[in-house]
Amino acid sequence: MKKLLSVFALSLGVAFTASAGVVVIGNNAAGDMSMSDAKKAFLGKGDNSLVVYELDEGNGTRSEFHSTVTGKSDAQLKAFWSKQVFTGKGNPPATVASAAAMKAAVASNPNAIGYIDEADVDGTVKVILKP
Amino acid sequence: MHFNVKALPIAISIALVPAAAFADEATDAKVAKLEQQVQALQAQQTKSLTEKFNFNGFISGAYISSDNDAGYNGASSSADFSQDSKIGFQGTFNISNQTQAVLQLMMKGENDWDVEAEWAYLSHRFDNGTKIRGGKLRVPLFMYSDYLDVGYAQPFARPPTEVYDQVPFSSYTGGDISYDFEFEDSTLTLQGFGGESTVPNSDLDLSNIMGANVSWTDLTWTFRAVYGQTDLDGEANGLMIDNEQAVFNGLGGSFDNGSIIAVAEWTTVEIDGLLSDHESGYLTVGYRIKSFTPYATIAYVKTTDDDVRSNLPPQLALPLSLGLNEKRTAYSLGLRWDAIDNVAIKFDLTYATDFGDTHGGLDTNPVINPFTKQFQFDDTLVYTVKFDAVF
Repeated sequence: MKKLLSVFALSLGVAFTASAGVVVIGNNAAGDMSMSDAKKAFLGKGDNSLVVYELDEGNGTRSEFHSTVTGKSDAQLKAFWSKQVFTGKGNPPATVASAAAMKAAVASNPNAIGYIDEADVDGTVKVILKP
Repeated sequence: MHFNVKALPIAISIALVPAAAFADEATDAKVAKLEQQVQALQAQQTKSLTEKFNFNGFISGAYISSDNDAGYNGASSSADFSQDSKIGFQGTFNISNQTQAVLQLMMKGENDWDVEAEWAYLSHRFDNGTKIRGGKLRVPLFMYSDYLDVGYAQPFARPPTEVYDQVPFSSYTGGDISYDFEFEDSTLTLQGFGGESTVPNSDLDLSNIMGANVSWTDLTWTFRAVYGQTDLDGEANGLMIDNEQAVFNGLGGSFDNGSIIAVAEWTTVEIDGLLSDHESGYLTVGYRIKSFTPYATIAYVKTTDDDVRSNLPPQLALPLSLGLNEKRTAYSLGLRWDAIDNVAIKFDLTYATDFGDTHGGLDTNPVINPFTKQFQFDDTLVYTVKFDAVF
């Protein structure tokens, strides 16, 4: 099925790639987000009415997102959150397992934000930042 | 009207795609949508639980050895596995969106694995952003005070003892109030604290602890200044301490851009009377290369009131000078290796020297000749291999 689709895509003369770059998504009702607000939100600072979702650890999109937005490697992020947790300053965001689960979580809450690969974006969510 | 060349392949491919593929696609879409709904429901269910309660822990195991028995960080020429080994558990209970209870229990090898609460507090954030906490808290004098025992969150094998050992207590009972000013790219935090404590394994009570600190961070640079004071009462180093005041001042800064790390702190402790005043500082620089972070540290401590003791009558001047005067510089080379998820392994080599005519801040360094102020050891080399994990 996938093969068929890619043949289809190629025949359209459109270049689809496996990864189109990571984007921050919000509920369809959400407004655009700045890079610095996104950095704060995903490090547990700033507007605490936001409900932030992350992809599971080890997910490639997660690593890509953090290297672009928060500037932290997987190990650095882990060290950062262990510092926050063990000083009672905050807990890491809830995680979801896939782009589909991310979209479902973000679509169901007007205050939710998350990130997915741009190729996974559909009508259920809105791109609020292309870092 | 121009004939649309791009439309031609579409028409051809649509014609070529069997009808079955479309049926498949419709089923796939349906399944995907159902999966999404199930995941959303599951997420909601687990969220209500995880939002209420979090349980975390950390553990460190260390091997420490030295080329002699000077006693730096409790090291001796035989292997030690307990000095820097510890385990901690933390439970965080979110009573409401704004109120939480935090309990952190620690067991340390250096305290014979006795269970002690390092954090045990209730915190509340008011609508205007002001946060108050009450209970047992870490005394926030140093940059790493709040997570002193969480080795995983630190670049080095241990925070430099030249600076961190100058304050012999790490927690207090009382309260604090803090406020975060959020700017576009940075945060300024003001914190005030007050309470009381005791110095562990001693006969020294600390009352009227008061202090404040200000810190600014843009998540790459961090700057910090702190003031603290306390009244001391009891006995220390054979001296009766009757309500004397101690004052702490500290400055700190750090930089971390993902590859380069630099941390520096400079602190002073001034105590009324005969107990020694200290000045200390350190600079650590490190560089991340994938999962390896080699680092180097230079740290020093010295007493700044040696003349107070030397001006005493000789029968007091000599023992007090020998016991309390202090001078030391330490050089460390180390490596943090983020070996696997949630586990860092650290190697550290620390050379402490430049003791002058003091024991170098090492109480276990014996006097050879009190009149020439000669001590047995005038340097020490300490090896550490440590793992730090969080779970």
